Amino acid sequence: MAAVTSTAAVDERVLVEQAQAGNRAAFEELVRRYDRDVLRLALNMMKRTEDARDVYQEAFLKVYRNLHRFRFECSFYTWLYRIVTNVCLDHLRRRQARPEDQAPELRTTQHDEVATDFFERQREHRATLDPERHLLGQEIKAKLALAMERLSPRERIVFEMKHYQGLKLRAIGDALGTSEETVKNSLFRATRKLRSELGVLR
Amino acid sequence: MSASAPNNSCKDVAPLLVFYACGECNEQERGLVEQHLALCASCKAQLEDELEFESALRSLPETSQQLDPSGILLGRCRSELAEQLDDLEHPRGKEVGGLGWLRRWMGLHPMWSAATLVLFGLVAGAQITQWFTGRNDANGVDAMSVRPSGPRLTEDQLSKMAVAGVNFAPSTSNPGVKTVRLQLSAEQPVELSGSLDDSNVRSVLTYVVKNGQRFDSGVRLDCLDALKTLAEDDQVREALLEAARKDENPAVRLKALEALRVSAADAEVRETLLAALEHDSNPGVRVEAVNLLVHSIGAQDDTLVVTDPGDFSGLPSRKAVRGSGGALDDDSMQNVIRALEEMQHKDPSRYVRMRSAAALREISARNEQ
Repeated sequence: MAAVTSTAAVDERVLVEQAQAGNRAAFEELVRRYDRDVLRLALNMMKRTEDARDVYQEAFLKVYRNLHRFRFECSFYTWLYRIVTNVCLDHLRRRQARPEDQAPELRTTQHDEVATDFFERQREHRATLDPERHLLGQEIKAKLALAMERLSPRERIVFEMKHYQGLKLRAIGDALGTSEETVKNSLFRATRKLRSELGVLR
Repeated sequence: MSASAPNNSCKDVAPLLVFYACGECNEQERGLVEQHLALCASCKAQLEDELEFESALRSLPETSQQLDPSGILLGRCRSELAEQLDDLEHPRGKEVGGLGWLRRWMGLHPMWSAATLVLFGLVAGAQITQWFTGRNDANGVDAMSVRPSGPRLTEDQLSKMAVAGVNFAPSTSNPGVKTVRLQLSAEQPVELSGSLDDSNVRSVLTYVVKNGQRFDSGVRLDCLDALKTLAEDDQVREALLEAARKDENPAVRLKALEALRVSAADAEVRETLLAALEHDSNPGVRVEAVNLLVHSIGAQDDTLVVTDPGDFSGLPSRKAVRGSGGALDDDSMQNVIRALEEMQHKDPSRYVRMRSAAALREISARNEQ
């Protein structure tokens, strides 16, 4: 397994070097290795396809323009994520500065029906049949989406990277260019705020 | 604080529970939490809530899945990025085709432009609908609705289809076998799903690779990904050779060459590799051609030993050899060496020159063994 990993790392180094030398095919291969994860993070963060597309384009164009600065001091993945997260944060900050521009695409119309006790709702949720279960899932999702809008951009990106990208706190810290301790604080605050918004803080 | 709390207090432990629930506590913190939980009912209940919150989050549908369930957005992002990179590499100069006046006129008369476009759209829409209806009536082609064991797709159906997405998933009945799911749209959208052995799946994949100009480069790359394990199949190899020679996107040509690695010793594949080395405009593709040519000679040596060990003189370049897919002889080997010798001096890319020189050293070292 270790041999496989190290071969992959060597391959990646060669690809990055070729891309740095102006090899477009090598660059596109690097894009294809990671762009699914990048788009997924962008969609989860921005909640709108148009914004996620902008993040995708801007991030990879930045990578393309700045690739010659990459010195292999960290993995390419970490470096890429640093750029992607910065682009996401910029977009979110800009969006927060425009209050009229904050409605997520996924908002549903049944907010009033969401139970105040999140766990009670979850228990019902598991006990019910599929169509209703789906609807309840949508309701909770809608409420969670609203709650996410109230997090600071940094808290939000940490929460997304932890829960949806499955990254370790150390890796998130590397990507955001900050310490693991700072990331821990952001995750703690994000979790508290979300649970409080969902009416479950004890 | 709970009355029964031992050495550590709820105040110390409670903030750790979020991290304990998501597996982010270090060993010392984990020990502290577990010791405390054994005796503190209140913190234990809080941990249960944390775990339930985690599991609820996991059970909710993910936004990215809802916004782009079939991966179509990814394909769009890829082609937009490719266009932007093209623009960066070859900035567009003057308006081509003398349409600058039209753009300027449209800028000055936005209302008239919009009205003209709407009218044009209506007329074109009506004409196209008529044309499609007419074709369906004339050919009697039913809306394509294909299942894994469905009727074989005709050339006509293939020539009309568009591919919106290609996904892979392990088969439910046999996890070792991958299922390919293709989102197609012909007369109407249809999803085609099956293993790589399914003749329709294979036909669509090879058709896309072979007729690259009709499809998005992201889709072409996905199809190549699916086909890369089948390069020894004649139909697939033919499509890969076509893509390696003619696809306009260097990433596609590169991937097609990579997929041909297993049959690099085949005479036709080697010809394609030589053509790529000598004529491909992209240095990355040329480097891959060098790598595969060296590999093909290695593969040829192996074939020699297996085919006729008694007659092996140790100098493959002087022997006539039959590879896995066709005849490889002295001339073919000499052609490779000649091309590499030429490229080590002539290629505009320094990296390709260096790689060609290194390849010649590798081949000569192998011959001396």
